[in-house]
Amino acid sequence: MPFAAAPLIAGETYETALRFGEEAAAELAPLAEPSAQATCLRAQWDRIAGLGWPGIAVPEAQGGAGGDIAELAALLCGAGRTGLALPLATACGVVPTLLAGHPLLPEAASGIARIAAILPGATQDPGEESLRRHSDGMLHGAAVGVEAPPAPTHVIAFVEGAEPALLLLRADAPGVETVASLRVDGRLAFDIRCRAAAPDAVLAEGEEALRRVEAARDLGALLACVEGVSAMGALVEQTIAYLNQRVQFGAPLATQQALRHRVADMYVEYENLRGITAAALRAATTEDALPWRPIAFAKLRLGIAGREVAESAIQCHGGMGMTEELPAIRLCKRLLMAEFEHGGRVFQARRLLAA
Amino acid sequence: MAEPDYEAFREEVRLFALVHCPPEIREVVASYRKLSRKIWAPWQRILHAHGWGAPSWPKQYGGTGWDARQRVIFDEVMAECDCPPQYHHGLRHLGPVIIEFGTEEQKQRFLPGILDGSDWWCQGYSEPGAGSDLASLRTAARLEGDHYVVDGQKTWTSHAHEADWMYTLVRTSKEEKKQQGISLLLIKLDSPGITIRPIRTIDGWHHVNEVFLDDVRVPVENRIGEEGKGWTYGKFLLERERLGGANIAPHRMALQRVRDLVQTELAGPAREEERGLLLHRLLEAEAELLGAAELGRESVQAVMDGEPLGLLPSVVKLSTSVTMQSISQVALDAVGPRLAARFRRVEGEGPNADPPGLEWVQNYMYARVRTIYGGSSEVQKNVIARQLFGN
Ligand SMILES: Cc1cc2nc3c(=O)[nH]c(=O)nc-3n(C[C@H](O)[C@H](O)[C@H](O)COP(=O)(O)OP(=O)(O)OC[C@H]3O[C@@H](n4cnc5c(N)ncnc54)[C@H](O)[C@@H]3O)c2cc1C
Repeated sequence: MPFAAAPLIAGETYETALRFGEEAAAELAPLAEPSAQATCLRAQWDRIAGLGWPGIAVPEAQGGAGGDIAELAALLCGAGRTGLALPLATACGVVPTLLAGHPLLPEAASGIARIAAILPGATQDPGEESLRRHSDGMLHGAAVGVEAPPAPTHVIAFVEGAEPALLLLRADAPGVETVASLRVDGRLAFDIRCRAAAPDAVLAEGEEALRRVEAARDLGALLACVEGVSAMGALVEQTIAYLNQRVQFGAPLATQQALRHRVADMYVEYENLRGITAAALRAATTEDALPWRPIAFAKLRLGIAGREVAESAIQCHGGMGMTEELPAIRLCKRLLMAEFEHGGRVFQARRLLAA
Repeated sequence: MAEPDYEAFREEVRLFALVHCPPEIREVVASYRKLSRKIWAPWQRILHAHGWGAPSWPKQYGGTGWDARQRVIFDEVMAECDCPPQYHHGLRHLGPVIIEFGTEEQKQRFLPGILDGSDWWCQGYSEPGAGSDLASLRTAARLEGDHYVVDGQKTWTSHAHEADWMYTLVRTSKEEKKQQGISLLLIKLDSPGITIRPIRTIDGWHHVNEVFLDDVRVPVENRIGEEGKGWTYGKFLLERERLGGANIAPHRMALQRVRDLVQTELAGPAREEERGLLLHRLLEAEAELLGAAELGRESVQAVMDGEPLGLLPSVVKLSTSVTMQSISQVALDAVGPRLAARFRRVEGEGPNADPPGLEWVQNYMYARVRTIYGGSSEVQKNVIARQLFGN
């Protein structure tokens, strides 16, 4: 029997997410036009909202399901195997953490409020400024490529300055412009530009704003690793399946030692990432606050291992590795993108070196 | 056990290590010099006297009865306190085989000497013509009355020059399949007909030897298990050997030492960039070790639960061997320009390194063996691929 990856967290949530992800991937695969893909993603978002996913880890009193980190991770674990093109880590983990007890939280939990979060380290195009609050309280500046649910209704923006703050504003407020694009992994991202936009609310200021941003990003990073482990496991399986059926020189490619060894290397990377992620997840579920160091190390590993495994999978598929439609190649692209989410390799390395 | 109990246990182990592990032993470990029987054996005696001689054995044979978490804590504290990792050939390799497949007499005869460190073991597997393809080994044993008479040659035999015994794979019959007809014999190294010659290795330390066996008589009662089934026992043992990497604690200590080395060797503002580059490489190695540490933990748990180890030994060996090589490369990059130019072969006992720091050059050289011995990386990948592809 060829290799079958075991989930980090099995159970009902995992199974549900896996089934949903498989259907969602099958729906998206034949759509070539970005606009058709965006429409499809919008419908898929409404379905996960109906399933209550954005509120899976939101307290019941605030309209959520009251699940813990393990429950949330199980969701990402199932969806991760399929490379689901919806921003689960952001919507179910990062945003609820940033909103904490805010009155918008129930709407976020039900998926009606669709929120883009601009955190420190958000990117700008050359010549643009990051978001800043002017003395009149209005917001100016830009963030590009911000991963978010379809048609965002709100923006949470971290602004630096003498008193850093976490602000909430409506996406349709005067002075706010959003432009959608598709990322390498087929998810939606938005360029968000503010010219004298008025915030609706201050979510947190000073130390509290920094603390919340950090906790949100670490949770996002941990969940990205969980997704990454699942994606990588599935990718190893699919690469093996491909090599078993592709015949060249009169025999399946799976008989060629060079390719077998490359797959063995992929597997070792996979196991290593699984180990470090399992350890970080255990620490996250047993300690009171999110432990940043194990998460930073795991995210660093995800960057390195993810690229290694994705590149190997593409190589093993030959010309097919350069095509768009294969599920395996979609997983490759998902892995390549995951590196940059919630603090990339370089960010985590600098943070660990500075500590 | 509850969380505070584990913390208390950690403290207990630490106190024991600091009080009972002699400073001259810890100094050798801390300075990364080569460990020999002279260093290992007294420490094993001390551990045994305290009842901690064989943490991985079942309690009835002298084990500690610790759970997997305690085992890992023990390893961690030992590494932090610069106590030598326990000598592997008796405790981790042969001991479990005797416990699993040996007779009652063999257990009584051989286990105590392993436990208290009075018997020193080495491994006679490889031969000039049998490396990765170990099953093609030709050293032959023929039965004469109540003795086997052994003829042939072993090579790469680590520690043979300081060992009392060699557990040895020999061919007792020619069968269709080369894995059949192999037996596992325990051979006393002072037996007439044995000649041991050192092999000089690239790091300048004396690790390995050639062992020539010329009509060596071995009593039949020194055979483990059945005649002709040696391959099964040998493989059981090799799996445990590969698990050696499951103890990540010394690796993490090595990483910390190399980090210190980089900080001191490349001190000052003028070398900040170089320092940053090397520290970054160490960070990536540390992340790999953290992943491997978790797999090591799973392995220890599996062994204690009697669960099959699956691919874990191969995965752990593959990934830690390469990581340790990367760490040793960083050390070489830090001291190489200054010290690789002044390399010296070490003969006999005494400090290995003069000028100080030379161990890092030796360690770099020695680290190359990690992907060669105990089943090379290529062989491990064959093992993994066979399992993954299902054929
Ligand atoms: C320092 C040191 C200590 C050692 N200690 C011991 C000891 O105590 N006891 C003991 O019995 N042995 C010991 N060994 C021996 C060690 O286990 C062998 O060196 C090892 O098994 C490799 O065998 P070989 O050297 O014959 O290399 P070979 O088998 O000749 O291999 C040469 C190269 O070919 C590759 N290769 C071989 N087969 C394949 C294949 N099928 N596919 C792809 N690549 C392949 C190998 O990976 C390697 O890169 C030691 C070796 C060293 C260097």
